[in-house]
Amino acid sequence: MQSPVYYALVNPNLSILMNMCFIFQRITIPEIMKDEWFKKNYKPPVFYEKEDADLDDVQALFKDSEEYRVTEKKEEQQPTAMNAFELISMSRGLKLDNLFDVEQGFKRETRFTSKCPANEIISKIVKAAKPLGFDIHKKNYKMRLENVKAGRKGNLNVATEIFQVAPSLHMVEVRKAKGDTLEFHMFCKNLSSSLEDVVWKTEEDMQETK
Amino acid sequence: MGCFSSTQRRQFPGYENPVTLASETAFSVSEVEALFELYKSISGSVIDDGLINKEEFQLALFKNRKKENLFANRIFDLFDVKKKGFIDFGDFVRSLNVFHPNAPLEEKIDYSFKLYDLDGTGFIERHEVKQMLIALLCESEMKLADETVEIILDKTFMEADANQDGKIDRSEWQNFVSKNPSLLKIMTLPYLRDITTTFPSFVFNSEVDEIAT
Repeated sequence: MQSPVYYALVNPNLSILMNMCFIFQRITIPEIMKDEWFKKNYKPPVFYEKEDADLDDVQALFKDSEEYRVTEKKEEQQPTAMNAFELISMSRGLKLDNLFDVEQGFKRETRFTSKCPANEIISKIVKAAKPLGFDIHKKNYKMRLENVKAGRKGNLNVATEIFQVAPSLHMVEVRKAKGDTLEFHMFCKNLSSSLEDVVWKTEEDMQETK
Repeated sequence: MGCFSSTQRRQFPGYENPVTLASETAFSVSEVEALFELYKSISGSVIDDGLINKEEFQLALFKNRKKENLFANRIFDLFDVKKKGFIDFGDFVRSLNVFHPNAPLEEKIDYSFKLYDLDGTGFIERHEVKQMLIALLCESEMKLADETVEIILDKTFMEADANQDGKIDRSEWQNFVSKNPSLLKIMTLPYLRDITTTFPSFVFNSEVDEIAT
């Protein structure tokens, strides 16, 4: 077979790569990324996202844990108590984004309540997340779950935090810290099926229109 | 697609010149025009009178015009600046301005204080917080013993009510919110930054010269 004319004008390494792409077999993206021609001057993309302040909170938390490791022994033994206003802010009547009536796509955070003890909630989340390929970082009742494999927008990073609403009632917040929102949505679905016996009310239950 | 001619638009009740509104708010003229598209659809949803009444507001927020909600009522009352019983376009834009990501923090703190000061006494009293908390628990179908509600209130007032007089004043609120910044999350709508991409139909109705923007 005669090579197409344009090959004569092009870097021979590129032409070999192109052959692989189009003629011989479907080369995969990971394979392309390993090719010498591709790697020349290649800078992997950095994903910037319009994050709300939550990401700063999460990062500050992890900075704290490095700076204040010495005082960790005096850390709280109980999850942070939610104050009345934090609960009140959850009202659907205060979610003015709904005025914009846009297909909001997939949520970036979700909540559920649980009547289980906080430590039990934590171990159940860890048990559910590890087989899904997540590394776990824990500090008190906050956790950061990081997917070891990179997804569509880098490694999915999920932040979870447990709050105490009442002595035997906890609120668990699961928030996307970094990565693709659809992947976060899939993660939440997997998580909720593993946590069926832990969840008391999901956010959907909590916002049901009577 | 709306076919408003320019004279019709000026006769739209509650309509205000986008250039004026843009000069008084963080919105650009195009953004005000985009907000007008949103305003038109909300204000015409039950009664086509160009004004947003309580039912239309409830419909927009809950997709259910009959849904009563303490907090939605508060927001409606605050948007209805002149207490006319409806929200006109100027009210709409000026109120949403406080929720803009670029609006000054001070304004958001002020607004949230007024939001929670149900009877407008200038203080957020314990009985008001109790009322709001109970409303939230009811809305979420979370049943808690009255004792538990009191414990939550105790903890909240211990932190927020610095002089322990049973009510939260404006400066106590300011301190409390600085220590708990997540409480102001409800006061910012990131969508307002991209309003022109959310409601692009405004480009067909724009009356204002590009140069003037």
